[in-house]
Amino acid sequence: MQNDVALLADGPMISAQTLHDDLGWELKPEGLCRDDVCVLVPDRDALEVDGKIDAMAIAALLDRPAVLDQASGIAAIGAQRSVRRRALDDLQAPDFVLPDLDGTPHALSDHRSKKRLLVAFSSW
Amino acid sequence: MQDELADHNFQVIAVAIDENIEAVRGFMDGITYPVLMDVDHVLTELYAISNVPAVVMIDEDDTIVQPNWNAYATDTFKDYTGIDSGEQLDIIRQWVINDTPMMSVDEAKTAVGDLSAEEEQARLHFRIANHLRGAGDDDGAARNFDRASALAPHDWTIRRAMMPLRGADPFGDEFFALAAEYNEAGRPFHGVAARSTK
Repeated sequence: MQNDVALLADGPMISAQTLHDDLGWELKPEGLCRDDVCVLVPDRDALEVDGKIDAMAIAALLDRPAVLDQASGIAAIGAQRSVRRRALDDLQAPDFVLPDLDGTPHALSDHRSKKRLLVAFSSW
Repeated sequence: MQDELADHNFQVIAVAIDENIEAVRGFMDGITYPVLMDVDHVLTELYAISNVPAVVMIDEDDTIVQPNWNAYATDTFKDYTGIDSGEQLDIIRQWVINDTPMMSVDEAKTAVGDLSAEEEQARLHFRIANHLRGAGDDDGAARNFDRASALAPHDWTIRRAMMPLRGADPFGDEFFALAAEYNEAGRPFHGVAARSTK
């Protein structure tokens, strides 16, 4: 389990390596691919310029929200909107993984087959 | 609650929408369930959470039976909030023990409105701000915190969460100003209010 969030330094034009490592996708002849899934790329030239890939266009193709902070060059890309919509409309709980206070990661799916009470809170 | 209901195949998972691990640790004396740190506000994006506390009940097959309920649902915070969670705890027991959730499926499916594009973007700018703050770029952090505020002015996980990160008191003047602004706007909230239990 890995959360589908990314902060990309030197955005929005990224390398194929960053696309793979930070966003989890690869550009292949058949499209934009992850595992066995490929998304059709309608306009390849709009996506790839001088060997770099436009992270904002990738986000748009994957229906993930994206913003660019021009001054720092950092692009932030969120999760696929369909994940949240499945939660809101179809009541399918999105999985996530977060560290506990000792830094040990826990995923919601670690506790599958239990009733789970998720309590979001804060110190503020 | 975790100890009481442990025999009922039940697990509490607390998630702090927070970057202050020491402050969170302060709440957690004697807690046996996992307490997770969500510095990047992953959860507020995935579940459309706009304020805390927000409780989500998830059953054995990953179905949400109660989305974003503004309930305390634990006495962990009782001393701090003054809110007696007795009734809320009863509702949780009903679900865990008798499998009778608070809402019907149809009610649950319409209980939480989706985030707007602006609210999505606000979360992303918040993440950038937090990252820049950690990197010592205070101007960059301020620029992105401001952007996030402008995009989601009534979202507590944006506006109030950033107060301690910008040296403001989340229980001070800025908080009261935000509360007034929020009331003025009709108290917009992605979820189910604390009192609408029946």
